[in-house]
Amino acid sequence: MNYYTWRKAKNYFFHSLLSISAVLVLIPLFLVVAYVVYKGISGLSLDFFFNTPKPVGEVGGGMVHAIMGTLYLVALGSLIAVPIGVVCGTFLSEFGDGKIAKSLRVAIDLLTGVPSIVIGIFAYILIVIPFKGFSALAGGIALSLIILPIVTRSTEEILKLVPQHIKEAGLALGLPRWKVTYFIVVKGNLKAILTGVILAISRAAGETAPLLFTAFGNRYVSTELLSPMASLPVQIYNYSISPFDDWQAQAWTGAFVLIFLILGINLTCRTFLNRKKILEKVTRQK
Amino acid sequence: MSQPIISVKDLHIWYNDFHAIKGISIDYLPNTINAIIGPSGCGKSTFVRTLNRIHEEVPGARAQGSIMYMGKNILSSEVDPVDLRRQIGMVFQKPNPFPSMSIFENTVIGLKLQGEKNKSKLMEVAETCLKKAALWDEVKDKLNKPGTSLSGGQQQRLCIARSLAVNPPVLLMDEPTSALDPIATGKIEELMTELKKEYTVIIVTHNMQQAARIADYTSFFILGELIEHGLSSDIFTNPKQKTTEDYITGRFG
Repeated sequence: MNYYTWRKAKNYFFHSLLSISAVLVLIPLFLVVAYVVYKGISGLSLDFFFNTPKPVGEVGGGMVHAIMGTLYLVALGSLIAVPIGVVCGTFLSEFGDGKIAKSLRVAIDLLTGVPSIVIGIFAYILIVIPFKGFSALAGGIALSLIILPIVTRSTEEILKLVPQHIKEAGLALGLPRWKVTYFIVVKGNLKAILTGVILAISRAAGETAPLLFTAFGNRYVSTELLSPMASLPVQIYNYSISPFDDWQAQAWTGAFVLIFLILGINLTCRTFLNRKKILEKVTRQK
Repeated sequence: MSQPIISVKDLHIWYNDFHAIKGISIDYLPNTINAIIGPSGCGKSTFVRTLNRIHEEVPGARAQGSIMYMGKNILSSEVDPVDLRRQIGMVFQKPNPFPSMSIFENTVIGLKLQGEKNKSKLMEVAETCLKKAALWDEVKDKLNKPGTSLSGGQQQRLCIARSLAVNPPVLLMDEPTSALDPIATGKIEELMTELKKEYTVIIVTHNMQQAARIADYTSFFILGELIEHGLSSDIFTNPKQKTTEDYITGRFG
Protein backbone atom coordinates (compact mmCIF):
# COMPACT_ATOMS: atom_id res chain seq x y z
CA MET A 1 0.00 0.00 0.00
CA ASN A 2 1.51 3.30 -0.96
CA TYR A 3 1.47 6.41 1.20
CA TYR A 4 -1.41 8.04 -0.60
CA THR A 5 -3.83 5.10 -0.15
CA TRP A 6 -2.74 4.74 3.48
CA ARG A 7 -3.51 8.40 4.12
CA LYS A 8 -6.89 8.06 2.41
CA ALA A 9 -7.69 4.99 4.50
CA LYS A 10 -6.81 6.75 7.73
CA ASN A 11 -8.91 9.73 6.74
CA TYR A 12 -11.82 7.45 5.91
CA PHE A 13 -11.45 5.60 9.20
CA PHE A 14 -11.52 8.69 11.38
CA HIS A 15 -14.28 10.25 9.37
CA SER A 16 -16.46 7.19 9.90
CA LEU A 17 -15.59 7.23 13.59
CA LEU A 18 -16.98 10.77 13.84
CA SER A 19 -20.13 9.88 11.94
CA ILE A 20 -20.72 6.83 14.14
CA SER A 21 -20.33 8.93 17.30
CA ALA A 22 -22.84 11.42 15.97
CA VAL A 23 -25.34 8.64 15.34
CA LEU A 24 -24.68 7.12 18.79
CA VAL A 25 -25.54 10.44 20.40
CA LEU A 26 -28.76 10.70 18.45
CA ILE A 27 -29.96 7.15 19.17
CA PRO A 28 -31.04 7.66 22.82
CA LEU A 29 -32.80 10.90 21.93
CA PHE A 30 -34.61 9.22 19.09
CA LEU A 31 -35.55 6.17 21.21
CA VAL A 32 -36.93 8.27 24.06
CA VAL A 33 -38.96 10.52 21.81
CA ALA A 34 -40.20 7.63 19.68
CA TYR A 35 -41.25 5.56 22.69
CA VAL A 36 -43.02 8.48 24.36
CA VAL A 37 -44.83 9.26 21.11
CA TYR A 38 -45.77 5.60 20.66
CA LYS A 39 -47.14 5.29 24.19
CA GLY A 40 -48.60 8.74 24.53
CA ILE A 41 -50.13 9.71 21.21
CA SER A 42 -53.15 7.41 21.57
CA GLY A 43 -54.27 9.29 24.67
CA LEU A 44 -54.33 12.65 22.91
CA SER A 45 -57.81 14.14 22.82
CA LEU A 46 -59.46 17.51 23.22
CA ASP A 47 -60.47 16.29 26.66
CA PHE A 48 -56.82 15.97 27.62
CA PHE A 49 -56.08 19.60 26.77
CA PHE A 50 -59.28 21.18 28.05
CA ASN A 51 -60.40 19.12 31.07
CA THR A 52 -59.23 18.63 34.60
CA PRO A 53 -58.84 15.08 35.98
CA LYS A 54 -61.91 12.98 36.69
CA PRO A 55 -62.28 11.24 40.07
CA VAL A 56 -60.79 7.77 40.39
CA GLY A 57 -62.82 5.21 38.47
CA GLU A 58 -64.36 7.62 35.98
CA VAL A 59 -63.08 7.56 32.42
CA GLY A 60 -61.70 10.60 30.62
CA GLY A 61 -60.47 13.82 32.09
CA GLY A 62 -57.31 15.66 31.19
CA MET A 63 -54.35 17.65 32.35
CA VAL A 64 -55.23 21.22 31.48
CA HIS A 65 -54.44 22.21 35.06
CA ALA A 66 -50.97 20.68 34.84
CA ILE A 67 -50.22 22.24 31.44
CA MET A 68 -51.31 25.66 32.69
CA GLY A 69 -49.45 25.06 35.94
CA THR A 70 -46.18 24.21 34.20
CA LEU A 71 -46.42 27.33 32.04
CA TYR A 72 -47.24 29.43 35.11
CA LEU A 73 -44.43 28.01 37.25
CA VAL A 74 -41.83 28.25 34.50
CA ALA A 75 -42.88 31.82 33.71
CA LEU A 76 -42.66 32.72 37.40
CA GLY A 77 -39.26 31.07 37.76
CA SER A 78 -37.92 32.82 34.64
CA LEU A 79 -39.32 36.15 35.75
CA ILE A 80 -37.27 35.87 38.93
CA ALA A 81 -34.12 34.26 37.56
CA VAL A 82 -33.57 35.59 34.03
CA PRO A 83 -33.03 39.29 34.85
CA ILE A 84 -30.77 38.43 37.78
CA GLY A 85 -28.91 35.84 35.73
CA VAL A 86 -28.28 38.12 32.75
CA VAL A 87 -27.07 40.97 34.96
CA CYS A 88 -24.93 38.58 36.99
CA GLY A 89 -23.42 37.00 33.86
CA THR A 90 -22.67 40.44 32.44
CA PHE A 91 -20.95 41.41 35.68
CA LEU A 92 -18.84 38.25 35.64
CA SER A 93 -17.81 38.73 32.04
CA GLU A 94 -17.12 42.48 32.13
CA PHE A 95 -15.89 43.04 35.67
CA GLY A 96 -15.03 39.50 36.65
CA ASP A 97 -11.47 39.90 37.92
CA GLY A 98 -12.11 40.95 41.48
CA LYS A 99 -12.45 38.82 44.59
CA ILE A 100 -16.23 39.20 44.75
CA ALA A 101 -16.57 38.04 41.16
CA LYS A 102 -14.36 35.02 41.74
CA SER A 103 -16.33 33.84 44.75
CA LEU A 104 -19.56 34.55 42.88
CA ARG A 105 -18.37 32.35 40.04
CA VAL A 106 -17.61 29.51 42.44
CA ALA A 107 -21.01 29.95 44.09
CA ILE A 108 -22.79 29.83 40.74
CA ASP A 109 -20.91 26.67 39.76
CA LEU A 110 -21.84 25.05 43.05
CA LEU A 111 -25.47 26.02 42.53
CA THR A 112 -25.39 24.28 39.14
CA GLY A 113 -24.26 21.13 40.88
CA VAL A 114 -26.81 21.14 43.68
CA PRO A 115 -29.20 18.19 43.18
CA SER A 116 -32.65 19.45 42.25
CA ILE A 117 -34.24 17.61 45.18
CA VAL A 118 -32.06 19.68 47.53
CA ILE A 119 -33.28 22.84 45.84
CA GLY A 120 -36.81 21.58 46.49
CA ILE A 121 -36.04 21.11 50.19
CA PHE A 122 -34.48 24.57 50.32
CA ALA A 123 -37.60 26.20 48.85
CA TYR A 124 -39.70 24.09 51.21
CA ILE A 125 -37.88 25.46 54.26
CA LEU A 126 -37.68 28.98 52.88
CA ILE A 127 -41.26 29.44 51.64
CA VAL A 128 -43.52 26.49 52.39
CA ILE A 129 -42.90 26.35 56.16
CA PRO A 130 -43.17 30.11 56.88
CA PHE A 131 -46.28 30.41 54.67
CA LYS A 132 -47.71 27.24 56.19
CA GLY A 133 -48.60 25.57 52.91
CA PHE A 134 -47.50 24.44 49.48
CA SER A 135 -47.63 27.23 46.93
CA ALA A 136 -46.93 28.18 43.33
CA LEU A 137 -44.59 30.81 44.73
CA ALA A 138 -42.43 28.15 46.37
CA GLY A 139 -42.41 26.16 43.12
CA GLY A 140 -41.48 29.22 41.08
CA ILE A 141 -38.62 30.07 43.40
CA ALA A 142 -37.35 26.49 43.31
CA LEU A 143 -37.38 26.58 39.48
CA SER A 144 -35.68 29.98 39.48
CA LEU A 145 -32.76 28.36 41.34
CA ILE A 146 -32.47 25.83 38.52
CA ILE A 147 -32.60 28.57 35.86
CA LEU A 148 -30.32 31.12 37.55
CA PRO A 149 -26.92 29.41 37.29
CA ILE A 150 -27.51 28.24 33.72
CA VAL A 151 -28.47 31.73 32.54
CA THR A 152 -25.60 33.33 34.45
CA ARG A 153 -22.90 31.07 33.08
CA SER A 154 -24.22 31.03 29.52
CA THR A 155 -24.44 34.84 29.52
CA GLU A 156 -20.92 35.10 30.89
CA GLU A 157 -19.48 32.70 28.33
CA ILE A 158 -21.24 34.45 25.45
CA LEU A 159 -20.15 37.94 26.47
CA LYS A 160 -16.57 36.79 27.04
CA LEU A 161 -16.44 36.05 23.32
CA VAL A 162 -16.86 39.76 22.54
CA PRO A 163 -13.35 40.84 21.51
CA GLN A 164 -11.56 43.50 23.58
CA HIS A 165 -11.11 45.70 20.49
CA ILE A 166 -14.89 46.03 20.08
CA LYS A 167 -15.19 47.33 23.64
CA GLU A 168 -12.25 49.67 23.08
CA ALA A 169 -13.90 50.96 19.90
CA GLY A 170 -16.95 51.87 21.99
CA LEU A 171 -14.87 53.53 24.69
CA ALA A 172 -12.88 55.46 22.10
CA LEU A 173 -16.13 57.08 20.94
CA GLY A 174 -16.34 58.73 24.34
CA LEU A 175 -19.02 56.43 25.70
CA PRO A 176 -19.17 55.64 29.41
CA ARG A 177 -18.40 52.04 30.26
CA TRP A 178 -21.97 51.17 31.22
CA LYS A 179 -23.24 52.32 27.83
CA VAL A 180 -20.60 50.26 26.04
CA THR A 181 -21.52 47.26 28.18
CA TYR A 182 -25.27 47.63 27.79
CA PHE A 183 -25.75 48.96 24.25
CA ILE A 184 -22.82 47.36 22.46
CA VAL A 185 -21.79 44.25 24.39
CA VAL A 186 -25.13 43.00 25.76
CA LYS A 187 -27.55 44.29 23.12
CA GLY A 188 -25.30 43.16 20.32
CA ASN A 189 -25.47 39.60 21.65
CA LEU A 190 -29.06 39.48 22.82
CA LYS A 191 -29.93 36.62 20.52
CA ALA A 192 -27.17 34.40 21.85
CA ILE A 193 -28.06 35.31 25.44
CA LEU A 194 -31.69 34.39 24.77
CA THR A 195 -30.59 31.03 23.42
CA GLY A 196 -29.03 30.35 26.81
CA VAL A 197 -32.22 31.52 28.50
CA ILE A 198 -34.33 29.16 26.40
CA LEU A 199 -32.01 26.29 27.28
CA ALA A 200 -32.41 27.06 30.98
CA ILE A 201 -36.19 27.36 30.68
CA SER A 202 -36.42 24.03 28.85
CA ARG A 203 -34.41 22.41 31.61
CA ALA A 204 -36.65 23.90 34.32
CA ALA A 205 -39.84 22.92 32.54
CA GLY A 206 -38.90 19.25 32.85
CA GLU A 207 -37.91 19.31 36.54
CA THR A 208 -39.97 17.20 38.95
CA ALA A 209 -37.97 17.12 42.17
CA PRO A 210 -37.99 20.84 43.01
CA LEU A 211 -41.79 20.90 42.62
CA LEU A 212 -42.71 17.75 44.56
CA PHE A 213 -43.02 19.48 47.90
CA THR A 214 -43.15 23.11 46.88
CA ALA A 215 -45.88 23.58 44.27
CA PHE A 216 -47.05 20.08 45.23
CA GLY A 217 -49.97 19.73 42.81
CA ASN A 218 -53.74 19.97 42.75
CA ARG A 219 -56.59 18.80 40.57
CA TYR A 220 -58.03 22.03 39.17
CA VAL A 221 -56.84 25.06 37.21
CA SER A 222 -55.36 27.58 39.61
CA THR A 223 -53.71 30.96 39.21
CA GLU A 224 -53.30 31.57 42.93
CA LEU A 225 -49.73 32.46 43.80
CA LEU A 226 -50.04 31.14 47.33
CA SER A 227 -51.96 27.94 46.64
CA PRO A 228 -50.61 24.60 45.49
CA MET A 229 -50.34 24.27 41.74
CA ALA A 230 -50.17 21.28 39.43
CA SER A 231 -47.37 20.80 36.93
CA LEU A 232 -46.83 18.31 34.13
CA PRO A 233 -43.74 16.61 35.59
CA VAL A 234 -45.32 16.11 39.02
CA GLN A 235 -48.60 14.99 37.46
CA ILE A 236 -46.72 12.51 35.28
CA TYR A 237 -44.84 11.26 38.33
CA ASN A 238 -48.01 10.81 40.41
CA TYR A 239 -49.94 9.11 37.62
CA SER A 240 -47.13 6.82 36.57
CA ILE A 241 -46.75 5.35 40.09
CA SER A 242 -50.54 4.93 40.45
CA PRO A 243 -52.07 1.46 40.18
CA PHE A 244 -54.66 2.53 37.58
CA ASP A 245 -54.12 1.66 33.92
CA ASP A 246 -55.90 4.73 32.59
CA TRP A 247 -53.85 7.03 34.82
CA GLN A 248 -50.64 5.39 33.61
CA ALA A 249 -51.79 5.91 30.04
CA GLN A 250 -52.45 9.55 30.86
CA ALA A 251 -48.94 9.84 32.31
CA TRP A 252 -47.55 8.76 28.91
CA THR A 253 -49.70 11.32 27.16
CA GLY A 254 -48.55 13.90 29.68
CA ALA A 255 -44.93 13.06 28.90
CA PHE A 256 -45.68 13.39 25.20
CA VAL A 257 -47.25 16.82 25.74
CA LEU A 258 -44.36 17.95 27.98
CA ILE A 259 -41.75 17.06 25.37
CA PHE A 260 -43.60 18.88 22.64
CA LEU A 261 -44.35 21.83 24.92
CA ILE A 262 -40.61 22.32 25.51
CA LEU A 263 -39.94 21.84 21.82
CA GLY A 264 -42.70 24.36 21.13
CA ILE A 265 -41.22 26.97 23.51
CA ASN A 266 -37.87 26.48 21.82
CA LEU A 267 -39.17 26.84 18.30
CA THR A 268 -41.46 29.77 19.09
CA CYS A 269 -38.66 31.73 20.71
CA ARG A 270 -36.33 31.05 17.82
CA THR A 271 -38.79 31.98 15.10
CA PHE A 272 -39.90 35.01 17.10
CA LEU A 273 -36.30 36.18 17.37
CA ASN A 274 -35.74 35.66 13.68
CA ARG A 275 -38.98 37.28 12.70
CA LYS A 276 -38.19 40.34 14.78
CA LYS A 277 -34.98 40.70 12.87
CA ILE A 278 -36.75 40.29 9.54
CA LEU A 279 -39.40 42.83 10.54
CA GLU A 280 -36.72 45.32 11.55
CA LYS A 281 -35.07 44.96 8.19
CA VAL A 282 -38.33 45.46 6.29
CA THR A 283 -39.41 48.52 8.25
CA ARG A 284 -35.99 50.13 8.02
CA GLN A 285 -35.90 49.87 4.27
CA LYS A 286 -39.00 52.05 3.91
CA MET B 1 3.90 79.31 14.32
CA SER B 2 0.67 78.34 16.06
CA GLN B 3 0.26 76.92 19.53
CA PRO B 4 0.54 73.15 19.91
CA ILE B 5 -2.81 71.40 20.35
CA ILE B 6 -1.24 68.54 22.27
CA SER B 7 1.97 68.90 24.20
CA VAL B 8 3.58 65.78 25.63
CA LYS B 9 6.26 66.34 28.27
CA ASP B 10 8.52 63.69 29.77
CA LEU B 11 5.99 60.89 29.38
CA HIS B 12 6.80 57.54 30.99
CA ILE B 13 4.58 54.49 30.68
CA TRP B 14 4.86 51.21 32.52
CA TYR B 15 3.10 47.90 32.13
CA ASN B 16 3.59 46.57 35.65
CA ASP B 17 7.42 46.47 35.84
CA PHE B 18 8.04 46.88 32.14
CA HIS B 19 9.12 50.41 31.26
CA ALA B 20 7.54 50.81 27.82
CA ILE B 21 7.91 54.56 27.19
CA LYS B 22 10.95 56.30 28.64
CA GLY B 23 10.49 60.03 28.86
CA ILE B 24 9.10 61.24 25.56
CA SER B 25 8.33 64.90 24.81
CA ILE B 26 6.62 65.97 21.57
CA ASP B 27 4.44 68.94 20.57
CA TYR B 28 1.68 68.43 18.03
CA LEU B 29 0.45 71.37 15.98
CA PRO B 30 -3.19 71.71 14.95
CA ASN B 31 -4.23 70.66 11.44
CA THR B 32 -1.19 68.55 10.80
CA ILE B 33 -0.61 64.88 10.15
CA ASN B 34 1.96 63.40 12.50
CA ALA B 35 3.44 59.98 11.89
CA ILE B 36 5.12 57.75 14.45
CA ILE B 37 7.46 55.14 13.00
CA GLY B 38 9.73 52.59 14.57
CA PRO B 39 10.33 48.85 14.85
CA SER B 40 7.77 46.53 16.46
CA GLY B 41 7.67 46.74 20.23
CA CYS B 42 9.09 50.27 20.37
CA GLY B 43 6.01 51.62 22.16
CA LYS B 44 4.31 53.44 19.26
CA SER B 45 0.90 51.95 19.99
CA THR B 46 1.33 52.36 23.73
CA PHE B 47 2.16 56.01 23.16
CA VAL B 48 -0.92 56.87 21.07
CA ARG B 49 -3.17 54.77 23.28
CA THR B 50 -2.13 56.96 26.20
CA LEU B 51 -3.16 60.12 24.35
CA ASN B 52 -6.84 59.27 24.88
CA ARG B 53 -6.23 57.16 27.98
CA ILE B 54 -7.49 53.98 26.32
CA HIS B 55 -4.26 52.44 27.69
CA GLU B 56 -6.09 52.23 31.01
CA GLU B 57 -7.97 49.26 29.56
CA VAL B 58 -4.82 47.18 29.91
CA PRO B 59 -4.47 45.97 33.50
CA GLY B 60 -1.22 47.11 35.07
CA ALA B 61 -0.65 50.05 32.72
CA ARG B 62 0.24 53.42 34.26
CA ALA B 63 1.51 56.69 32.87
CA GLN B 64 3.60 59.48 34.37
CA GLY B 65 4.49 62.90 33.03
CA SER B 66 2.18 65.35 31.36
CA ILE B 67 0.07 65.46 28.23
CA MET B 68 -1.34 68.97 27.94
CA TYR B 69 -4.50 69.35 25.90
CA MET B 70 -6.72 72.45 26.09
CA GLY B 71 -4.80 73.69 29.09
CA LYS B 72 -5.17 70.54 31.15
CA ASN B 73 -2.99 67.56 31.87
CA ILE B 74 -5.17 64.76 30.57
CA LEU B 75 -3.40 62.24 32.78
CA SER B 76 -4.64 63.96 35.93
CA SER B 77 -7.58 62.44 37.74
CA GLU B 78 -9.74 65.54 37.26
CA VAL B 79 -9.98 64.85 33.53
CA ASP B 80 -12.75 62.35 32.81
CA PRO B 81 -11.59 59.82 30.21
CA VAL B 82 -15.10 59.75 28.74
CA ASP B 83 -15.01 63.50 28.01
CA LEU B 84 -11.44 63.24 26.78
CA ARG B 85 -12.29 60.54 24.25
CA ARG B 86 -15.01 62.72 22.75
CA GLN B 87 -12.21 65.19 22.01
CA ILE B 88 -9.58 62.70 20.93
CA GLY B 89 -10.99 59.91 18.77
CA MET B 90 -9.28 56.73 17.72
CA VAL B 91 -9.17 54.39 14.75
CA PHE B 92 -7.70 50.94 15.38
CA GLN B 93 -5.41 48.65 13.46
CA LYS B 94 -8.06 46.07 12.73
CA PRO B 95 -11.30 47.39 11.20
CA ASN B 96 -13.80 46.84 14.01
CA PRO B 97 -17.34 47.90 13.12
CA PHE B 98 -19.89 46.74 15.69
CA PRO B 99 -21.05 43.38 14.30
CA SER B 100 -24.69 43.65 15.32
CA MET B 101 -25.21 47.07 13.77
CA SER B 102 -25.99 48.29 10.28
CA ILE B 103 -23.74 50.69 8.38
CA PHE B 104 -25.99 53.57 9.42
CA GLU B 105 -26.11 52.56 13.08
CA ASN B 106 -22.35 52.06 13.16
CA THR B 107 -21.79 55.57 11.86
CA VAL B 108 -24.03 57.38 14.33
CA ILE B 109 -23.83 55.10 17.38
CA GLY B 110 -21.49 57.44 19.27
CA LEU B 111 -23.78 60.40 18.79
CA LYS B 112 -26.90 58.36 19.41
CA LEU B 113 -25.63 57.01 22.70
CA GLN B 114 -24.59 60.52 23.71
CA GLY B 115 -28.29 61.31 23.61
CA GLU B 116 -29.05 62.55 20.08
CA LYS B 117 -32.50 61.17 19.23
CA ASN B 118 -33.54 63.31 16.27
CA LYS B 119 -33.62 60.92 13.30
CA SER B 120 -33.16 63.50 10.58
CA LYS B 121 -30.20 64.99 12.46
CA LEU B 122 -28.64 61.50 12.76
CA MET B 123 -29.22 60.86 9.06
CA GLU B 124 -27.59 64.19 8.26
CA VAL B 125 -24.54 63.38 10.41
CA ALA B 126 -24.30 59.90 8.88
CA GLU B 127 -24.27 61.37 5.38
CA THR B 128 -21.71 64.06 6.23
CA CYS B 129 -19.36 61.65 7.98
CA LEU B 130 -19.64 58.92 5.38
CA LYS B 131 -18.89 61.54 2.74
CA LYS B 132 -15.88 62.78 4.70
CA ALA B 133 -14.70 59.18 4.96
CA ALA B 134 -15.15 58.81 1.17
CA LEU B 135 -17.54 55.92 1.68
CA TRP B 136 -20.93 57.51 0.97
CA ASP B 137 -21.14 56.67 -2.73
CA GLU B 138 -20.35 53.03 -2.06
CA VAL B 139 -22.87 52.53 0.74
CA LYS B 140 -25.67 55.06 0.25
CA ASP B 141 -28.01 52.39 -1.16
CA LYS B 142 -27.34 49.84 1.55
CA LEU B 143 -27.19 51.77 4.80
CA ASN B 144 -29.25 49.05 6.51
CA LYS B 145 -26.85 46.25 5.65
CA PRO B 146 -24.60 45.05 8.48
CA GLY B 147 -21.34 46.97 8.84
CA THR B 148 -19.44 43.72 8.71
CA SER B 149 -20.77 42.96 5.21
CA LEU B 150 -18.37 45.53 3.75
CA SER B 151 -14.85 44.80 2.51
CA GLY B 152 -11.90 45.37 4.86
CA GLY B 153 -11.01 48.76 3.40
CA GLN B 154 -14.62 49.89 3.45
CA GLN B 155 -14.96 48.70 7.05
CA GLN B 156 -11.95 50.78 8.03
CA ARG B 157 -13.42 53.85 6.35
CA LEU B 158 -16.68 53.10 8.19
CA CYS B 159 -14.71 53.09 11.45
CA ILE B 160 -13.19 56.44 10.50
CA ALA B 161 -16.69 57.80 9.77
CA ARG B 162 -17.83 56.44 13.13
CA SER B 163 -15.02 58.32 14.89
CA LEU B 164 -15.74 61.52 12.95
CA ALA B 165 -19.41 61.45 13.93
CA VAL B 166 -18.62 62.54 17.47
CA ASN B 167 -16.51 65.32 15.94
CA PRO B 168 -13.20 65.04 17.81
CA PRO B 169 -10.63 67.74 17.02
CA VAL B 170 -7.87 65.13 17.26
CA LEU B 171 -7.88 61.71 15.61
CA LEU B 172 -5.47 58.96 16.64
CA MET B 173 -4.84 56.18 14.15
CA ASP B 174 -3.05 53.01 15.19
CA GLU B 175 -1.74 51.41 12.00
CA PRO B 176 -5.06 52.00 10.23
CA THR B 177 -3.95 50.57 6.91
CA SER B 178 -1.81 47.62 7.95
CA ALA B 179 -4.64 45.17 7.22
CA LEU B 180 -5.54 46.72 3.87
CA ASP B 181 -4.45 46.36 0.27
CA PRO B 182 -2.68 49.22 -1.56
CA ILE B 183 -5.86 50.52 -3.20
CA ALA B 184 -7.75 50.77 0.08
CA THR B 185 -4.63 52.22 1.69
CA GLY B 186 -4.47 54.86 -1.01
CA LYS B 187 -8.08 55.83 -0.36
CA ILE B 188 -7.46 56.20 3.34
CA GLU B 189 -4.32 58.26 2.80
CA GLU B 190 -6.21 60.58 0.48
CA LEU B 191 -8.87 60.82 3.12
CA MET B 192 -6.34 61.76 5.79
CA THR B 193 -4.95 64.65 3.78
CA GLU B 194 -8.56 65.79 3.38
CA LEU B 195 -9.22 65.43 7.13
CA LYS B 196 -6.18 67.56 7.97
CA LYS B 197 -8.19 70.67 7.10
CA GLU B 198 -10.42 70.15 10.12
CA TYR B 199 -8.61 67.70 12.35
CA THR B 200 -5.23 66.94 13.81
CA VAL B 201 -4.15 63.42 12.97
CA ILE B 202 -1.58 61.30 14.81
CA ILE B 203 -0.88 58.07 12.98
CA VAL B 204 1.23 55.06 13.88
CA THR B 205 2.55 53.29 10.84
CA HIS B 206 4.97 50.56 9.85
CA ASN B 207 5.01 51.84 6.35
CA MET B 208 7.71 54.49 5.95
CA GLN B 209 6.63 55.45 2.45
CA GLN B 210 3.23 56.15 3.94
CA ALA B 211 4.72 58.43 6.58
CA ALA B 212 6.79 60.21 3.95
CA ARG B 213 3.76 60.60 1.65
CA ILE B 214 1.22 61.99 4.05
CA ALA B 215 2.79 63.18 7.29
CA ASP B 216 3.89 66.75 7.95
CA TYR B 217 5.94 65.65 10.95
CA THR B 218 7.44 62.28 11.78
CA SER B 219 8.73 60.86 15.05
CA PHE B 220 11.04 57.88 15.20
CA PHE B 221 10.84 55.63 18.28
CA ILE B 222 13.14 52.84 19.39
CA LEU B 223 12.63 50.83 22.57
CA GLY B 224 10.43 53.43 24.18
CA GLU B 225 12.68 56.36 23.38
CA LEU B 226 12.23 59.18 20.90
CA ILE B 227 15.24 59.12 18.62
CA GLU B 228 14.23 61.92 16.32
CA HIS B 229 11.27 64.17 15.68
CA GLY B 230 10.91 66.73 12.92
CA LEU B 231 9.49 67.65 9.54
CA SER B 232 8.95 64.50 7.49
CA SER B 233 10.91 66.02 4.66
CA ASP B 234 13.92 66.34 6.95
CA ILE B 235 13.58 62.95 8.63
CA PHE B 236 13.37 61.08 5.36
CA THR B 237 15.88 63.01 3.31
CA ASN B 238 18.30 64.37 5.84
CA PRO B 239 18.06 62.59 9.21
CA LYS B 240 20.20 63.97 12.00
CA GLN B 241 20.70 60.65 13.77
CA LYS B 242 22.62 57.72 12.39
CA THR B 243 20.03 55.25 13.82
CA THR B 244 17.23 57.02 11.96
CA GLU B 245 19.14 56.85 8.74
CA ASP B 246 19.87 53.14 9.25
CA TYR B 247 16.22 52.45 9.96
CA ILE B 248 14.70 54.35 7.07
CA THR B 249 17.20 52.98 4.61
CA GLY B 250 16.42 49.48 5.78
CA ARG B 251 19.76 48.65 7.32
CA PHE B 252 18.07 47.43 10.45
CA GLY B 253 14.56 46.87 11.89
